[in-house]
Amino acid sequence: MKNIVVTLFVNGKKEVLEVTSKERLLDTLRDQLNLKSVKEGCDVGECGACTVILNGQAVNSCLVLTAQIDGYEVYTTESLENKGNLHPLQQAFIDYHAIQCGFCTTGMLMSAKALLDKNSNPSREDIKTAIEGNLCRCTGYEQIIQAIESVSKKVKG
Amino acid sequence: MIEFEFLSAKNIEEAINYMHNYKLSKLLAGGTDLLVDIHKESPRLGEFSYVIDISNIEELRFIKEYEDIVEIGPLTTHTMLIESPIINKYFPLLAIAAKTIGSPQIRNRGTIGGNISNASPAADLVPPLMVLNAELELKSMDDKRFVPIEEFIVGPYKTSKKDDELITSIRIPKLDESYKGNFQKIGRRQALNIARLNLALIAKIDEANKKIEDIRIVPGSATPYPLRFKNLEREIEGKTWNQLDLDYLSQKIGEEMISITGERWSTPYKKPALGGILKKAMNELLNF
Ligand SMILES: Cc1cc2nc3c(=O)[nH]c(=O)nc-3n(C[C@H](O)[C@H](O)[C@H](O)COP(=O)(O)OP(=O)(O)OC[C@H]3O[C@@H](n4cnc5c(N)ncnc54)[C@H](O)[C@@H]3O)c2cc1C
Ligand code: FES
Ligand code: FES
Repeated sequence: MKNIVVTLFVNGKKEVLEVTSKERLLDTLRDQLNLKSVKEGCDVGECGACTVILNGQAVNSCLVLTAQIDGYEVYTTESLENKGNLHPLQQAFIDYHAIQCGFCTTGMLMSAKALLDKNSNPSREDIKTAIEGNLCRCTGYEQIIQAIESVSKKVKG
Repeated sequence: MIEFEFLSAKNIEEAINYMHNYKLSKLLAGGTDLLVDIHKESPRLGEFSYVIDISNIEELRFIKEYEDIVEIGPLTTHTMLIESPIINKYFPLLAIAAKTIGSPQIRNRGTIGGNISNASPAADLVPPLMVLNAELELKSMDDKRFVPIEEFIVGPYKTSKKDDELITSIRIPKLDESYKGNFQKIGRRQALNIARLNLALIAKIDEANKKIEDIRIVPGSATPYPLRFKNLEREIEGKTWNQLDLDYLSQKIGEEMISITGERWSTPYKKPALGGILKKAMNELLNF
C-alpha cells in the first residue's frame, strides 16, 4: 500500500508528512509530530479527549483520516502557551480547580477555545453545548464551566 | 485489521469515475459513521478495498433556494444546517433535529448525505426529511435519477442506492405557510444505554376552523427503519382541535409501532415513550 504525502499547518508550522491510508489525524499528531496533548480515549467520537481545532472548528481527531486534510490548519493545546505564559483558559482551569486527573483537559480546552474564538460572550448554555462532546469522569463539569465563564467575562470586561 | 487504499476525489466527475472503476469501494464524507465502523470492524461494512474521499468536493457543499424548492448539497454539515438562514426560515424542524445530533465535534464533520446514506434506524435527519417529502438526486457514470427519500431507505442500514451512485443533492419542496412542523427526541448519549426515539411531524393547519387538513408523521428508532405512520395520520386528518383526543392518539401510535415490529424487549419502554413524545409534539404544534 503506497503512502500519501500531505501538507499540514500544525500550530502555525508547515509540516510535510507521509501517511498511510488509514492513519488518523490522532495518530499523526501523537506519533509523527509528538504532540502528546492529543489524548487517545474511546477512538469512536464519544469522549472528546482527542479534540483539536481543524480549520477553525473543533473536531475529534480520531474520526479524521490525515489523508483527507491536505492543506488544512490544525491547532492543539501545545499552541495555547505563549512564550512561557499560559493561555487565559489554561490559567483559569488551574484557578477554578477544573483539572483533576487531567485526561479530559486538553480536549476540553480545545472545545472551549473553539467556542471563544467564535463567540467571545457565550451564555452558560452555550458553554454547556460547546463541551457536550467532552467527557470528564472527575470534576462534575461545574468547575470547568466556571473556568470558561471566567475567561469570557474577562474578555467582556 | 481492515486494509484499504485511499483515493481522493476533487470533484463530482472524479468521484463518479473512481466509483465506476474501483468496484469494491466505500465513499468517505465526514467519516463519523464510516470511520467508527472501520474502527469497530463492523460486519455491516462488508468487503471493500478502496475508500474514496469526497469530503473536499466543494461543489457538494451548499444550501440553495429556488422558487419552489430548497436544494442541499450532501456534504452540508449538521453545523451548516443549524446556522443556515434558509433552513431556519423554511424547515426549522430540520435545524432543530440537526442540533440534537452528537456533539459539536460530530456536527462539524458529520454530513446530511452521510446521515441519509448510512440509513441507521435512529438517524435524526431522516424522519424530518421524510415528512418534508425530500427527494435525492443520484448520479452515476451513465445515469442520473431522482428518488424520494421514502423509497431510498429500504431497511435498517439499507438503501436502494447502487454501488456506483453518488448522492449529489437533496431537494425539499417549500411548504405553504399554513404548514407547521415539530421534532422531538429522547435520549442523547449512547453511553446512557437507553433506547433512543425521535419523532418528526408536519401538519397543515387551518387556523380559522381550528382544523388539521394534512399531517405527516414519522417516528425514528421505533421501527426497523423510519416510515410514515399512515393509520395514525388518518386518525388525525380532517379533525378539529377539540375532536383530538391525545391520550387515544398516543395509544394508537404505540399500536401502529407494534403492528410493524411485533412485541420486542424494548416495547414496554418504547410504547409509552413514543406516545409521550407524540403528545408533546401535538401540544407544541397546536400551542395548547
Ligand atoms: C459519537 C457519535 C454520536 C452521533 N450522534 C448521532 C445522533 O445523535 N444522531 C444521528 O443521526 N447520528 C449520530 N451520529 C452518526 C453520524 O454522525 C451521522 O449519521 C452523520 O450525519 C454521518 O455523516 P458523515 O458525513 O460523517 O458520514 P460518513 O461516515 O462519511 O458516511 C456514512 C455513509 O454514507 C455514505 N455516504 C456519505 N456521503 C455520501 C454521498 N454523498 N453519496 C452516497 N453515499 C454517501 C458513506 O459511503 C457511508 O456509507 C453520531 C456519530 C458519533 C460517532
Ligand atoms: S478518542 Fe476521539 S473522541 Fe474519544
Ligand atoms: S479531570 Fe479527569 S477526566 Fe476530567
